[in-house]
Amino acid sequence: MIHFFVAISLILAGGVLSLVTARHHLFSRAGAVILISAGCVWGLVDAVAALTGSVTHTASFQYLNLFFLAFEMDALSAFFLGVIFLVCLMAAVYSFHYTEDDTGSVRTAVTAFFFSLLAVSMAMVVTAANIITFMLSWELMSLSSFFLVIHRYEQKENQYAGFLYFVFSHVGAMFIFARFGVIYKFTGSFGFTDVHTLTEGAKILAFVLFFIGFGSKAGVFPFHVWLPHAHPAAPSHISAVMSGVMIKTGIYGILRIYSLLELPAPVFGYLVVGAGVVSGILGVVYALGQTDIKRLLAYSSVENVGIILIGTGLGMIGVASRNPLMAVLGFSGALFHVLNHALFKSLLFMGAGMVVHQTGTRSMDALGGLLKTMKITGSAFIIGSLSICGLPPFNGFAGELVMYLGGFQGITLDKIPFAVSVAAIIGLAVIGGLALACFTRVLGIVFQGEPRTGAARNKTESGTTMQTAMGVLAAACVIIGVFPGWFFNLSLSAVGALNLGYARIPMAPFAQMTGDITAGAFVILVLVLVVAGVRSWFYRAKPVSRSGTWGCGFTQPTVKMQYTGTSYAFDIVRFFRPAAPLEELHPPVAGRFPVATRYESRVHDIAERCMKPGVVRPVQFLFDRLRWIQHGDIHLYIGYILLAIVLLLFFI
Amino acid sequence: MFESIFLWLGAVLTAPFFSAVILKVKAFFGGKKGPPLLINYYTLIKLIKKGSVYSTSTTAVFKLGPVVSCATALAALLFLPIAGRMPVISFNGDVILVLYLLGLGRFFTIAAAMDTASPFEGMGAAREAFFPIICEAAMFMTLIFFYHMTGELSFAAYFSGDGTLALWQIAGPSLLFIVIAFFIILLTENARVPVDDPATHLELTMIHEVMVLDHSGPDFALIELGAFCKLFFYAAILSGLILPFESGFTGMGLLLFVAGLGIVYLVVGVIESVIARYRMDKVPQFVLTSFALAFFATIITLELMQ
Repeated sequence: MIHFFVAISLILAGGVLSLVTARHHLFSRAGAVILISAGCVWGLVDAVAALTGSVTHTASFQYLNLFFLAFEMDALSAFFLGVIFLVCLMAAVYSFHYTEDDTGSVRTAVTAFFFSLLAVSMAMVVTAANIITFMLSWELMSLSSFFLVIHRYEQKENQYAGFLYFVFSHVGAMFIFARFGVIYKFTGSFGFTDVHTLTEGAKILAFVLFFIGFGSKAGVFPFHVWLPHAHPAAPSHISAVMSGVMIKTGIYGILRIYSLLELPAPVFGYLVVGAGVVSGILGVVYALGQTDIKRLLAYSSVENVGIILIGTGLGMIGVASRNPLMAVLGFSGALFHVLNHALFKSLLFMGAGMVVHQTGTRSMDALGGLLKTMKITGSAFIIGSLSICGLPPFNGFAGELVMYLGGFQGITLDKIPFAVSVAAIIGLAVIGGLALACFTRVLGIVFQGEPRTGAARNKTESGTTMQTAMGVLAAACVIIGVFPGWFFNLSLSAVGALNLGYARIPMAPFAQMTGDITAGAFVILVLVLVVAGVRSWFYRAKPVSRSGTWGCGFTQPTVKMQYTGTSYAFDIVRFFRPAAPLEELHPPVAGRFPVATRYESRVHDIAERCMKPGVVRPVQFLFDRLRWIQHGDIHLYIGYILLAIVLLLFFI
Repeated sequence: MFESIFLWLGAVLTAPFFSAVILKVKAFFGGKKGPPLLINYYTLIKLIKKGSVYSTSTTAVFKLGPVVSCATALAALLFLPIAGRMPVISFNGDVILVLYLLGLGRFFTIAAAMDTASPFEGMGAAREAFFPIICEAAMFMTLIFFYHMTGELSFAAYFSGDGTLALWQIAGPSLLFIVIAFFIILLTENARVPVDDPATHLELTMIHEVMVLDHSGPDFALIELGAFCKLFFYAAILSGLILPFESGFTGMGLLLFVAGLGIVYLVVGVIESVIARYRMDKVPQFVLTSFALAFFATIITLELMQ
């Protein structure tokens, strides 16, 4: 594992270098970017080599017989490592020009340092092989991302976002930690190898608690409440990393625990598919109700985590029903979607970052017509939107087809697995349709049409590294969509590491499937080219002119008459009324003559709305009652210390 | 192979003819003679002869919209068995590919509409984004039904050879539910009454017509051709379902297929003449009916095949 440690040392060195040379703005940024990119490239090559070679590496360190760190890189870890390093590489390249005119070079350097720390801790989480290493890396990851979220801490909403994120990640970590503690009590060791010796009831409880803990990091409904606040607050390349890979560490945790517990109970599959369908549908419905671009993309991440969980759940049902094809299709589809989502979500966040950077506003209804002035960003955003809607010939479709095929395998089962598979397939279909509505909305309102306010007029794109990063990610989406074979084999190797009991997963039957996807992609590409050729032949000698958009004879059109995002999504959000309550504030106009009035609408997130009376108030009530402990009297505090020492003496 | 390509070309070339049947039926109900049956060909030739005016608000996406929507409709026909023969391309899972290709066409039509900065087209785009969501759910429910019956996921397995006859034999009357559900999906996806009125030009009542308001000339010809092919696609599936008979004579299969198509287009025309268009907020209920019918059909056959 020497390459792995070289890679993370390089990344950490980049962060430290930027901190040391914080005063020199250009040098600290360049040094950080070069070293972090070098480390990421090294780690990426090493991870891909480990995946294709299907070998497992281990390493361990011991310190004073207390501090025992162990790392293990099997195919599953290598897959997630590849995703982590790729996205961090792109984000590092992007950040060079994104942070160019940031206020204060010291703060930029501190952000770069915490970015490197985040990358290193995520890499350590997916390679951790015992409880201590895992919890250490998990805490490091949560803390470094907290400092990144409050990058612009002067604004109140960023403070609230950071605080919410801090509380959620630590409550989740407590669930994980508590469960690990019980496992330690059962097995007597810190390692992961004896976890399967728990009793069955303990295993089921363990899985549910781990699911809650990892689910809050992954953004599963209803533990996703921190996501829509934290992602807009962080700088765009950090949002790309958080949304693209950090939430995937939650998925990694769920998969790892499932493989360690070795209990093929069908109830796990039902729970995961149920959570996945709910997260997926509600995530995209809330996304449709947002006017802030980055909040919308954050809710869309909730939706995609739902899709990944549907695939995972289908795999678990396949294992429980002894249907190896369904199991492999479900898990590999989920892992393939992990890779695809990391790529297109980072692309979308980078595009949104460019828009926010140039126009200074995150509100969709103030923008418009940016495709004319920001061609590269716009084209990359179109490719990202096409991929996230799961449309052929892009990479989102390849992952979803695999999951559909896994789901259809479950139709042949009976009773509850049948019903769950039906729910999974219909859920995927509805999520796909809603995602199409959501992303045509973003594209149409932000990039197309005419600029609605001055913020969007005559804004060009700048920053070569930003455009380069977006271009590379867009190209990756297209390549994986048209030629998914090799990339899908990577996720198949990762499934092999899940220890499902199948000796070795053959690649040949799946080559047929990915070959079909390639054939389909070529069919549509060839047809589009042919029809485009026919069209240009038709237009050979024809008069073509430009004029204003026809306004149905209306003589005073203004750009404010265009459709807004809220109007576009109004019918859809209203259809899901119970889950997405729409609140409208519209003071009525009184009197006979026109007067000024206002209209305000918002879509409430029911998890967030229930959080205040359901969780915050009881906790505040309880701790208010316990306030008498902190009297402020120093004599009482000394008495507490004495009491604690006496009690401890009984136990040691 | 050549037979399949020949049938595909024939489908693309005769799609405008069948759409004119609907116009004739509507004229009959109005006591009129109606336009000639070759009217759509005249329209296409007229449009190709013209040039275009592009709005200053539009970008390259506007020019890409008609190309992609026509190409996806043609691609969908490539996977469909016509008259019971093998399709040009077929593989396991191609049904899902075709459904998502139609979604790709929808994405670009909506994007081209939003490009014009016109509130009319935004309205049409918003509606077009909403109703097909429920259609997708209903289509996948139908697909679950077919998979439960046959264990296959390709159009060739369902509609070529004696696949459809086998379906009727296994599933029996519950296939009627599927036929009705699929007919409702046909009406919704192809913007027919009672979901949308293709003959009206009032923005409050339009979905598809309003989205293509700014296209002109050969662009509009491509859009029209794509729409004809898409309607032919759905009608061909229905024709295969309602007249599944297989016979020894080579021409008989083609004749039955054309007869089935004629019946489908006739019924579409009759419904357009007899029923009024629904109010916009009743349309989701209408499409959910098709989902419910497909769902019931699956539940019933679940019990039958225990």
